[in-house]
Amino acid sequence: MVVKVKFFSAFREVFGTRERDYVIPDGARARALIEAMADQPERRAALLRGSNLHPHLVLLVGGEALSSRGGLEAELRDGDVLAVFPMLGGG
Amino acid sequence: MSDPSFGIHGKILEIDLSAGYVRVRPLDPSLTADYLGGRGLATRLFYEAVDPASDPLGAENVVVLAPSPLIGTSAPTAARGHMVFKSPLTGFLGTSNSGGGWAWSFKATGYDALVVKGRASSPVWIDITPEKVDVLPAGRMWGKDIHALTDELTTGFEPAARPRVLGIGPAGENLVRFAAVANDRNRVYGRCGPGAVWGAKNLKAVRAAGRMKTRVHDKERYQSGYEQAMHLIRQAPVTKRLLREMGTAGLVELINVIGMLPGRNFQDCTHRDEDLEAVSGETIAKTILERAAGCYLCPIGCQRHTRVGGKGEQAEAGEGPEYETVVLMGPVCDIYDLEAITRANYRANELGLDTISFGSTVACAMELAERGLIPPAELAGLELRFGRAAVLERLAVETAFRRGAGALLADGSFRLAERYGRPDLSMSVKRLEIPAYDPRASFTQALGYMTSPSGACHLRGGYAVSLAFFGGWKEIPRFSLLQSPIAIRNMQNHGILQDSLGVCRFTGYAFGSEPWSRMLAGATGLDFSVARLEEISNRVAALERLFNLEAGAGKLDDALPPRFAETPIIVAGEERAVSVEIQERMRRDYYEVRGWDAEGRPRPDLLGRLRIAGRRP
Ligand code: SF4
Repeated sequence: MVVKVKFFSAFREVFGTRERDYVIPDGARARALIEAMADQPERRAALLRGSNLHPHLVLLVGGEALSSRGGLEAELRDGDVLAVFPMLGGG
Repeated sequence: MSDPSFGIHGKILEIDLSAGYVRVRPLDPSLTADYLGGRGLATRLFYEAVDPASDPLGAENVVVLAPSPLIGTSAPTAARGHMVFKSPLTGFLGTSNSGGGWAWSFKATGYDALVVKGRASSPVWIDITPEKVDVLPAGRMWGKDIHALTDELTTGFEPAARPRVLGIGPAGENLVRFAAVANDRNRVYGRCGPGAVWGAKNLKAVRAAGRMKTRVHDKERYQSGYEQAMHLIRQAPVTKRLLREMGTAGLVELINVIGMLPGRNFQDCTHRDEDLEAVSGETIAKTILERAAGCYLCPIGCQRHTRVGGKGEQAEAGEGPEYETVVLMGPVCDIYDLEAITRANYRANELGLDTISFGSTVACAMELAERGLIPPAELAGLELRFGRAAVLERLAVETAFRRGAGALLADGSFRLAERYGRPDLSMSVKRLEIPAYDPRASFTQALGYMTSPSGACHLRGGYAVSLAFFGGWKEIPRFSLLQSPIAIRNMQNHGILQDSLGVCRFTGYAFGSEPWSRMLAGATGLDFSVARLEEISNRVAALERLFNLEAGAGKLDDALPPRFAETPIIVAGEERAVSVEIQERMRRDYYEVRGWDAEGRPRPDLLGRLRIAGRRP
């Protein structure tokens, strides 16, 4: 299946693009997508701390927090869109 | 009993502009223990002094400004002041907070609060030093914008002795109901129309200069809290660097992805990615940003000092825009033109307009005009429709001077929409315009707007986005009916604490109450445990509610405009609205959580426990 990833802010430089389609096995969980994205040390460091998601990331799937769908264990569907932001603040 | 002079000076400065007296009275030390300073103390002093039925633009209205026990210490961001008054926009409690150094300078003159009553017969300004307080004629300053006013009152001083000025621009003088009061040129008490209250009192400016120190009782204890706070500010990515790099407008694209960024007077939340990118924090940083800076004593530094118009004749520099301004003057008006937004922001800063209420009122006028509800003749030749970036700057100026089409806007979106028979097209709660987060995209945020004492305000009502999306492990789902009332009460209470300490909301991205508790106990020598601080927030919330009830508010004022119940938007693939039933249920549960009865009245046992004596049962 194909999952579209949209990068924002500094992630655009780290990933060298604004968006990219990743092909991952049908029924795969978010972990498989993150592993596919972490294809270089710098990208891995931006996404993961050890085997967990980096705490300074905001990941949204279809406009909802990935964490609310189970974080790395979230089940993904073909056509899902993942948005990758740094931890932001404001108000 | 500890020495009451630690953390505070023990003095309230009271000025009656009608009677022409200046009087200094002692600050009862129990008020510090029960209300801290800032919002808490100002609310209490206001409540004592004002008739809730008073005309907000009459001599009977009272303005109270208060710094806090932490102001004058080194506590991070502790220079913010809080102003309380009866709002000419809402008719209820006006409560507004600002960065900038005026509150710091005022405290250094030796006072813990300023109470201004009455109405001068001609324009005046007030000059405060530790030695004396003068009420002086301001005739020649009347008409000046905020920058010119500040220059006039601060030139001729050595930098170390330079006074700070709090004042109004033409918008306040012309009683624009969402006029701001500014200090340090561009830092504003923006919401609820304090500028109009000053204008009605014929009060142009208050200048303060002093060097009196705030005494710290237990330096070691204070220092332990301070170091903990600074450590956490340097650790947390938002306070360490992201707010400095991206400003608050760094949120634009994220808020859009979560379906919460309003467009076209809140008719929908759909935007093209490339349009939003043109007004994003990143684009601001890459194109118009000259430098980031911080309010006085702030290590975080989210201010945007910007320049537009290249190098030619049209070039100009100023401050902003921040997130709210970008969205309300931008997408909410279907405008995605960064330069137009920024120039209008500059005018709003100089003339003294709240950019949230202004942007939303422009959007409301655009919708009324597109629907053919405003006769073109009444628009004084202005072609008003969504997307017309060219109107923004002109309308900011005309609104401040109540000229042309601006005369229609100057009383805010509710009165505008009401005039043309469609009050439902004002996107406001208690007549205060809704900030840049669509309430249909979060029940928690919806409840925050409904129950904020000042009307729709994310700073007084609670800020749900961080709860749902940047909270890490403590994330609270945004459509949880069960968790929203408690979550929003907690957010509101933490906001009351920050406003009563004179510190910035954004410290909340690094830490909660604990470091404040230590700094405060260290500074004052009083017991300010976290539980005690929570009790203080509950007390202030109850008192704010009492005032609103006495001013005529009822539970139906704690409701969203019909659009949010009737017209759904798509959020994460689902249709979302905040039905009247959902509003009713959340409101009921929130009242319960607060200890208020079904009509939203604080119960007598709660008032007893909090030691509040209301004017009426
Ligand atoms: S974080 Fe921003 S708004 Fe808050 S005190 Fe610092 S500069 Fe001012």
